[in-house]
Amino acid sequence: MPEAILQALLNGVISGTLLAVPAIGFSAIFAVLNYPNFAIGALATVGAYGGLVANTVFGLPLEVSLLAAFVTAALAGLVVEWVAVRPLEQAGALMMAIASLAAAIVLENVIRFVWGNGLRGYDLPMLRDMRFGEIRVGPQQLENFAVAIIAMLALWGFLVLTPLGRAMRAVADNPDLARLRGVDPQRIAAVAVALGAGLAGMGGMLIGLDTSIDPLTGPRLVLSIFAAAVLGGLGSIPGAVVGALVIGMAEELTVLLIAPSYRSVVGFVVILAVLTVRPAGLFGARA
Amino acid sequence: MSVTRRSLGALLAIPALGAPSLARAQGAVIKLGTLTPLTGAGGPYGPVMAACVRGVVTQVNAAGGVLGRQIELVSEDDQTNPEAGVRAARKLIDVDRVAAIMGTWASSVTTAVAPLCWENQVFLTTVSGADSITLLPHNGWLVRTQPNTTLQGRKFGEFAVAQGAKRIFVMMPQTPFTQSQFAAMKAAVEAGGGAIELLIYDATKPSLRTEVDQALRFRPDVIVAGGYTPDTSVLLRDLFRASYSGKILAFAYAVNQAMLTAIPKEVVEGVMTLAPSPAAGSGGYAKVQALVGTDAPDPYTCQIYDHVNLVLMAMAKGGAATGQAVHDTIRKVSQGSGEAVDNALDGLRAIAAGREVNYEGASGPCDFNEVGDVLDVKFRYEQVKAGALTLIRIA
Repeated sequence: MPEAILQALLNGVISGTLLAVPAIGFSAIFAVLNYPNFAIGALATVGAYGGLVANTVFGLPLEVSLLAAFVTAALAGLVVEWVAVRPLEQAGALMMAIASLAAAIVLENVIRFVWGNGLRGYDLPMLRDMRFGEIRVGPQQLENFAVAIIAMLALWGFLVLTPLGRAMRAVADNPDLARLRGVDPQRIAAVAVALGAGLAGMGGMLIGLDTSIDPLTGPRLVLSIFAAAVLGGLGSIPGAVVGALVIGMAEELTVLLIAPSYRSVVGFVVILAVLTVRPAGLFGARA
Repeated sequence: MSVTRRSLGALLAIPALGAPSLARAQGAVIKLGTLTPLTGAGGPYGPVMAACVRGVVTQVNAAGGVLGRQIELVSEDDQTNPEAGVRAARKLIDVDRVAAIMGTWASSVTTAVAPLCWENQVFLTTVSGADSITLLPHNGWLVRTQPNTTLQGRKFGEFAVAQGAKRIFVMMPQTPFTQSQFAAMKAAVEAGGGAIELLIYDATKPSLRTEVDQALRFRPDVIVAGGYTPDTSVLLRDLFRASYSGKILAFAYAVNQAMLTAIPKEVVEGVMTLAPSPAAGSGGYAKVQALVGTDAPDPYTCQIYDHVNLVLMAMAKGGAATGQAVHDTIRKVSQGSGEAVDNALDGLRAIAAGREVNYEGASGPCDFNEVGDVLDVKFRYEQVKAGALTLIRIA
């Protein structure tokens, strides 16, 4: 049993790290634009298919395909933002969230229209897991884990070291003050959306690499992504990472200690508990 | 302007109201609905199913329709999702006013839609297998051409025992038939002296590694992968990664051609599948092949072909284009000692000539018991060899 728990925790850390990528995207958009973008799941699917085209049609290696996933989803995210969400800005965050849900349905069905409902797989060798005593881990899992960590480090570098990143944090922190200092909020909003959607797309592809993809790949993740972001504190990027890790591990332990069919309950329970006990989440300043 | 468009419309409608009601009834089209999954886990099947029904309806309309009336088909998408299924069924019943709904695929959808049908006297034909469906208090308002899951579970168990299995681990998502099917498998396996255990997993998760670890701790020599295509492909990959070397049995509706093209060959190699078999070689089967343009139509398309034929013939036999007529007469055309027919055109001609008919369909004999379960069906056993499904036997 101790090995089983260790194995479940390891699986949870890896799945949590993958989940963290789209969760950061979700939180980044929330931080700057102040509305929950529920198209994040569909954008993850768009990224996964963008990466699929790069990988299987153009024969590009996975690393380049992941960038293609990022770019495709970022562009789709900007279209969603400009066409569906922005026109409803005056109506408030709830209307924007609903617009993003509607856009998600459109995106999902565009994908169905082009690629159909079937499963699609990346051009990848199927590798057996490596074993360390009773513990096993897959080479692809490790690679995905490493990519997710690199993506997060790159994001951190962008936010801390570049003027654009600093401007983004400034807008997230205090939009009025940022505007007084000459930061263009429209430009920052576009950067935040492209970054958030791009990360979602990359996350969608990373998760798809381990399995296969279909039009519901992203939407299946939305609950876990949202739960991770709420747990970490909506709008907090470190919070999204911690939240995703906790959700990942909690889901795996649920399989072991309660029952596998209760995995999805974890997301709901976490959202309920956080909103009841600490609405600001672990790292959130705003309630 | 003294005559508005609306009042003009009302004026024009007056002669129609004055016409005898019989004339109006004859002119009106007969509305039928298909409710198949165009999206979701059943997405690979639903579009072909709907197209097959449309093909039959076109042929029957060209031959003069049923009871002298043309048939209008309305096809809706249940999204393999009970909520969407109920919304679509409400539209078919309340807006389109169909007499019958055909082809519900997932058991969860059928379970949700069936009460709407019997409350509104709309006849339901389904390809769902959950035992609970025909146990609903439907009072004869539904039939299914899919053998129930108890029968399928027993076949699964017997097949596993026949493979020499002593320890069988069953992995299934939560469905209306998980428990009943497992119980039937368990009975068959324990009768054969084997041990069996069930794990119900969450089909929405992108990885089932921890579930696979749990399965392997049981040290199974056969794993039954009892899910749908998306989750079964996740499961098979994780079994491969875990270097599981025993046998794998799965439903043919999950391990299908779509899966074989999507996931690496080595993952699915050797997997054995089991499915209720259509009546390959029968006249009805040949007609489905022609209608949908494929040599190997899937079992659900064969079944829905039978549904539409049965519904149309039952209306003709009952002399009314209503759900009630189908409810009252479907068994008079599906079974008995009448002339064997395998399509609605022949059946309608025979009925018009006053002869009894016994429909023998593309999916099988299509004989139903009093609760609407199909009585007899063959099973098809296949195995993935070198990346392709190869027939082991039909029995």
